[in-house]
Amino acid sequence: MSQMPQSPEEKFLRKLFSEHYQRGRINVVSPEKREFGFGGWEKKIEFRHIGVLGEEQLRAKLVSEAPLYVSHSVGYYEFPDARPMTRKNWLGADLVFDLDAEGHACGKFTCSQCMDGVKADALKLIEEFLLADFGFSKNELSANFSGSRGYHVHVRSEAVRQLDRDARREVADYVTGTGLEFTRLFWTEGKKFLGPRASQGGFGGKFARAYISKLDDDSFALSIARKLKKPEERAKLKSAIENGNWDNIGIANREKKLQEKFDAMKLTLAGRIDANVTADTSKLIRMADSIHGGSGFAAKSMGMNELSDFSPMKDAVVFGDAPMKVKITEAVPALCVKDYSFGPLAAGDSVEMPLCAAVYLLCKKAAVLA
Amino acid sequence: MLTSQRKKNERFLTRKQGNPLMLDLVFCAHYPFSRQAKEYVSQKGIELTSSILDKAEERVKNAVLLGKIQRVAELPDSMEEELAIYAAARMIISAANNRYLINRYAVTEAKRAHEYLDADEFARLDYINEVAAEFGVKFEKVANGEGYFLPLASYLAYTPRSIDYKLANREVAEGKVRVKKNERRRILEEAVKKRMERELPIKAEFQEEVKAAGARILAILPKLESAVVRVGQEGYPPCITKLIEELALNINVPHTGRVALAIYLVNVGVPTDKIVELFRHAPDFSEKTTRYQVEHIRARKYSMPSCATMDSYGACVAECHCGSPINFRAEIHGRRLKRLEDENRGKEEKK
Repeated sequence: MSQMPQSPEEKFLRKLFSEHYQRGRINVVSPEKREFGFGGWEKKIEFRHIGVLGEEQLRAKLVSEAPLYVSHSVGYYEFPDARPMTRKNWLGADLVFDLDAEGHACGKFTCSQCMDGVKADALKLIEEFLLADFGFSKNELSANFSGSRGYHVHVRSEAVRQLDRDARREVADYVTGTGLEFTRLFWTEGKKFLGPRASQGGFGGKFARAYISKLDDDSFALSIARKLKKPEERAKLKSAIENGNWDNIGIANREKKLQEKFDAMKLTLAGRIDANVTADTSKLIRMADSIHGGSGFAAKSMGMNELSDFSPMKDAVVFGDAPMKVKITEAVPALCVKDYSFGPLAAGDSVEMPLCAAVYLLCKKAAVLA
Repeated sequence: MLTSQRKKNERFLTRKQGNPLMLDLVFCAHYPFSRQAKEYVSQKGIELTSSILDKAEERVKNAVLLGKIQRVAELPDSMEEELAIYAAARMIISAANNRYLINRYAVTEAKRAHEYLDADEFARLDYINEVAAEFGVKFEKVANGEGYFLPLASYLAYTPRSIDYKLANREVAEGKVRVKKNERRRILEEAVKKRMERELPIKAEFQEEVKAAGARILAILPKLESAVVRVGQEGYPPCITKLIEELALNINVPHTGRVALAIYLVNVGVPTDKIVELFRHAPDFSEKTTRYQVEHIRARKYSMPSCATMDSYGACVAECHCGSPINFRAEIHGRRLKRLEDENRGKEEKK
C-alpha cells in the first residue's frame, strides 16, 4: 500500500508485526461497521476510510499490510469506507474517554511515574464518574492501554450510542468540571444559606464529602475559623454539612471563604480526560490489542479489575527475549522492559538486548539495526 | 369539559393485534405530533379540503411571522380539524423544504406544546406522563424532595445545551440527573422540537395546491442573504462555506466546527467584530464568550485543522485534495476553480 521506500528498521518492524497479527488477538466489536485507519513510519494515520467485511478480512489486511498503527472509528457506519464522512451514514458510536500522560512532559521515553499518574486518573474516571455518577455497569465498560502513554475507556451501551456531539461534549464537560459554578451549588433562601448534602450525587456531593474529610487536616480547619481547633466544633460542623446545612456554622465571611475553598478544590474533584476525543463521534482511536508503532507495546485490553495492577512496561510487552543487536542513536535513560533493565545508553553504543527491548528502542527511533 | 361530551370524543378502536385501543381526541388535539394523534388520523383518514389547506398555510405563516400557533377550541369538530390542519401544515413545510423554515416551525410547535403542558399540569396530569412516554422519557419523583430524576441519556438528549442545564452543576448519581419540577415541561418542549427537526421534511410528492402554498411561505421567509454577515466568502473552501451557511440557518454547529471556522476566518484576516457577528446566528450565542474565544484563537495563533481533521469532525463536504482548508484558494486557483464551477453549474441545472 505504501509507496515510500522503507527503512530497514521499518521493514523489520512490519515483518514482526505481520507475524504477530497472524495469531494475535483481534478485539473489535462489529468490525464490519467500523472505519479503520492504518499508519506507517511517518504518520499514525496514513490511510483511513478502510472498511472490512469482518474479523477474518481485518486479520488478513493486518497480516498483509502490517501497519505500524491500527485505529478504528468509535462510530458505527452503514458504509464505513464511503467518502466524504456524510456518505458513511453514521449509525451511532461508543462513548470513549482518552487519558494521556502527555501533560506530564517528561520526554519521549515511558516514565513509570507518569504512567502511574494517568492510571490513577483512569481509575478515578471509572469508579467515580462512569460507575457511580453515570451508573454504567462494569460489563458496559472496557479499558485498554493506549500503547504509548495513556489509557482508553470505551463505554458500549444502548444509552450512549445515539448521543450527538453536543451531548458528548456535555459528558466531557461534566467529567472535567467545566462550567461548574459555585452559585449554582450554593444558594440563599431567605436568610438561609443552603448547599449540597454529602450523600448527594454530582459535584455538590463530591465537594461536601471532600470538605468534610479535609476538616481532619488542622491547617485546613484553622484556615476557616479558629474555633475549629476544638474537636467538638469540628464534629458539629461536619454533621451539619453532612445534611446540607451550610448555614448554621457560625463562621464569619462564610460565603467568600467557602467560594475560595471551592475554587481551590474543584480541580481535584474533576477528572482529567481529553474532552475533544469524547466529543468526536467519528474519532479514530487505537484498536485495542493492536501494536503501537511508537513503542512496540500492545494497546492491551484489560478487565476492570486488572487496571489497578497494570504495568505497561511489563504487561503490554508483545515480543520475546531472543537476543538482538542494535546501535543506539540518541541518549537513552535507564529503563526496564519486561524483566530486562538497561541503560543509560549513549549514542553510538552497540548493544545486544532482548527483542522486546530492542523493538521498543527501534520504535522510539532511538536505535537502528546493527 | 363535561364527562359525557368527553366520552363522545373517545373512540374505541382496535389495533391489528386485537388490543382495544382508546384514542383520546383532546390529547390528540393538544399533542398532534403524538403517535396517538397519528393513529387517530390514519383511522379516520383526512381530507385535504381547500379550507384545511388555507388554515394550514395560516398556521405556518403565524409560526414564521409571529412565532406563535393558536390553541384550539375544545369542540370535537374543531379538534378533528386541528389534526387535519397539523398534517397539512407538515406537507406545506415539506414541500417548501427549507431548513430555516423547518427549524422555526419546530420551535413554534414545541412552544405550543409547552403551553398545553402548562395547562395540563393542573387539569390533566396524566397527559404529561403520556407525552413523556411518547419520547421514552421517564420522570421519577424525588423521594424526599422536589423535582424528578431523569435518566442521563434522556437528559442529554432533551435538555437545551445552555448554561442553565450544565450537567456539572446538577445532582448526578447512578445514571440519573435531578431536574426541577418546572423543568420537566421545558425538557418535553425540547423533545418535541427535536422530533420535528428530525422528521421534517417528509419525503413525498405533494399535490399542486400544497406546493403552491409552500412556495408562498418561502416568499415570506426573512431574506437570509441580508442576515448573513458578509465575510468575504469568495474562494472559501466548501467546508467553511457550509459552516457559515449552517450558522446563518440557526443550525447548532458543533463546537469543533465553530473553532475551525473561527480559526479560518482569523487566518484570512477577518476582524474579530465580524466573526462575532457571524456567530450571532448560533442558537446558543453569547457575545462575551464568543469574543473571548475568537480573541484567544487570534492571540494564541491557533493552527488550522487539516482536511483529515476536518473530515474526522464530519465537517468535510468535498474532496478538494488541498491538505488544509487554508490552502484551498491557492490550490483551486485557475483551471481547477473553473472546472469546479462548471461542475457545480451542471449540478444546479440538474436540480
